[in-house]
Amino acid sequence: MHIMAVLGDSLGNQLFNGIFSLQFLQFLITFLSYFGFVLTSAIILILAERKIMGWMQDRLGPIHTGPWGLLQTVADVGKLLLKEDIHAGQIDKSVFLLAPAVFMAPVIAAFAVIPFSPYVSLPGTAIATGIIYYVAMSSIDVIGVIMAGWGSNNKYSLIGGLRSAAQMISYELPLVLSLVGVVMLTSVLAGTPGYSGNAGIGSIAIKEIINFQSVSAWPGRGIPFWDFVFKGFTPWAWFFLVQPLMIIIYYICGLAETNRAPFDLPEAESELVAGYVTEYSGMRWALFYLGEYGNMTIVASIATALFLGGWSGPGVAFLTAPGMALGWQILGNILGIIYFVSKAYLLCFVFIWVRSTLPRLRADQLMQFAWLILIPTTLGNVLFTALVFLVLNGAGLPNWAFLIILGVLNWLLLAGFIWVVSRATAATTRRAQAPAIRASRAAAVAGQIPERTTVTSSQR
Amino acid sequence: MATNQGKGTIPGVEEGAEEIKTQEMLLNMGPQHPSTHGVLRLVMTLEGETVVDCTPVIGYLHRGIEKILENRPVMGGIRYMDNADYLSPMLNEIAYAGAVEQEMGIEPPRRAQYIRLLVGEMQRIASHLVAVGTYGLDLGAFTPVLWTFRDREGIMSLFEALCGSRFNVNYLRVGGVLHDFPKGWLKECEVFLDQLEKNMAELETLLTGNEIFDARTQGVGYIDPQQAIAFGLTGPMLRASGVNWDLRVNRPYMAYREVPVNMQVRQEGDCFARYRVRMQEIWEGIRLCRVAIDKMPGGPISIRTQIALRPPRGETYFAIESSKGELGIYYISDGGEYPWRAKIRGPSFVNLQILPEILRGHKISDVVAILGSFDLVLGEVDR
Repeated sequence: MHIMAVLGDSLGNQLFNGIFSLQFLQFLITFLSYFGFVLTSAIILILAERKIMGWMQDRLGPIHTGPWGLLQTVADVGKLLLKEDIHAGQIDKSVFLLAPAVFMAPVIAAFAVIPFSPYVSLPGTAIATGIIYYVAMSSIDVIGVIMAGWGSNNKYSLIGGLRSAAQMISYELPLVLSLVGVVMLTSVLAGTPGYSGNAGIGSIAIKEIINFQSVSAWPGRGIPFWDFVFKGFTPWAWFFLVQPLMIIIYYICGLAETNRAPFDLPEAESELVAGYVTEYSGMRWALFYLGEYGNMTIVASIATALFLGGWSGPGVAFLTAPGMALGWQILGNILGIIYFVSKAYLLCFVFIWVRSTLPRLRADQLMQFAWLILIPTTLGNVLFTALVFLVLNGAGLPNWAFLIILGVLNWLLLAGFIWVVSRATAATTRRAQAPAIRASRAAAVAGQIPERTTVTSSQR
Repeated sequence: MATNQGKGTIPGVEEGAEEIKTQEMLLNMGPQHPSTHGVLRLVMTLEGETVVDCTPVIGYLHRGIEKILENRPVMGGIRYMDNADYLSPMLNEIAYAGAVEQEMGIEPPRRAQYIRLLVGEMQRIASHLVAVGTYGLDLGAFTPVLWTFRDREGIMSLFEALCGSRFNVNYLRVGGVLHDFPKGWLKECEVFLDQLEKNMAELETLLTGNEIFDARTQGVGYIDPQQAIAFGLTGPMLRASGVNWDLRVNRPYMAYREVPVNMQVRQEGDCFARYRVRMQEIWEGIRLCRVAIDKMPGGPISIRTQIALRPPRGETYFAIESSKGELGIYYISDGGEYPWRAKIRGPSFVNLQILPEILRGHKISDVVAILGSFDLVLGEVDR
């Protein structure tokens, strides 16, 4: 009895202290805002896509529901919730019903490692395995897609599901490899003047990587205005300047990961009706779409955090410094969220822009691009970064020189990459092979038909 | 074996390479499918994603237009021709009216001929705009189709001002046309053509020269000239294979005797060439419209004919260069008010028959690319 009372008392105390502790409050605020963000972000993006594509295509987009068409997606989701959930006769029921959840869950889970501001970030953002956790979560998506393709018992769905599996697995590799360069940069920079951490030990925690892009050496030290602007806001140290090629490759892989144009083969409307979502209707269909747009947000957020400095912007670090009052802290965090979300949505805008511009690749061209161009390039980048560091370190140059030289070389590499890709697409696609095809076809039919390539009016 | 037959035509696969045998799959594409441009049904045998065999099944849009024509007086039949190739009604009407005129041995006045040329070229532009736009959509580009439909809307509005109807125009008459231009119509037409030229330049930047578009279309669906002639292809499909055959040039009819046409020929013979020929024909169409407006003669728009038109006993074949190819009407009259037979030689129908030959050995994605480049209109295939 006594022991139980003590135990209960201490548990109660712990519970009481736990609930009213600052950590728990942080967790609660963050958790709620994340959950709200994941779902509303998908809805906002769907509306934004329809509006922006509308403008690009010289039309209006949704205008009737709500002011300026703002409630269109809300109305759509309401309609889809009320719709009948139709199952075709011959489906594999358990697989079919589970697939949307398997697709959607990892999307929500992946948000756990994305920090929005110094304060609004789940405990997961600090865990040491940030990037690996994100990669793992984004790989689980493919299972949902295959389940949908298989469970629908429809040939279009099956082809869509299998295409998607091949595509997502192939693009997973360059996606991971393109992030390795950033991790290498952190391990080089750790411990050097102006940077945090212990020398030689980098980080794959996303929050840490954001910190690495905010150098503590800023100009105007001591002048309040410049302090406010530049403390923690050092765009010249953002990793996209050092590794421009990698953010582009990451972004391309992100397009493929999320099945967006020009890599939207799994749901290629003109070929496969709707790919793996052909047999879905109602809310299960909507879950796939919410998942896709959620995925889009994640890809953009990760790119923001790893390459574009995350939440860093004028005022954030200054206002959230340890000594500031609570009101300033809140303001600083709100500013951080605004910076982060606007950077991420800028990248989402590029998603939409790409979609309204480019046609779709063919499946084999897609695979060629991943295996012959992206993977060698990303692997080469890992070696290249290490090599440059070894050479410059051996020459005794400081880290800032390493960053500058690596950046310059990478920008040159970017130009080279674009040149190589344009040459390679010309060579590997059938444009180059067309004369040979023509010759072989001409030889095949030459015996059957009398030779007469042109007909003039006099002959007729 | 069917599989080996298909393999022979796959470019890039080495002869005798050992492959794992898998089960062939029968995929039924259409008649309700987003990219078969109407109600074409393709029954395809697939080996993985490679097409081994393909059978087009047609007839889902059969409305018996030829039979309807036999049961209508000649003037009443013109309206039904609109629905044959529903993307270029004006050209269908020109063919039908022209066939009856040839049977009767009459010639429309010069102004009517120029009006026919002008509206015919505008219709050709409209039809090619749809072809190019939906081709972009087939390849996954969303924007071209909306831009081209916007431009086509201008042509539709001009037709509405001209004949009161956007689509089923019912504008041609045997011996001329129904109405003269409304006031200021030609001015509006010129303004539209200027705008269209700008829009076309924009459209070219979107598709032509795009790496992905090139990769999807170049070298895909190759038709060599002999094959094209053997299968009776006409129109842009034939000219894309390097055969310089255009009825407007080789057998000029009506105002084309006075207005020379620059024939658009490409040598490549692939999907890209077919796309390019259509684009060039749009540019050429804009030029021809301008020429027609400049040279538009005065005078009557129609000759007087009987109300109950009775073409003399006999038969005739009259063909024009429609947007899809040679659109011919084989007209047999028994001397009565109704045609005894009016056979429509639809270019889409004839062009369709090369499809299985070309598809063999290509991927499913290429099926859409090739089918789109044919620019089939099922209304004309099934009639």
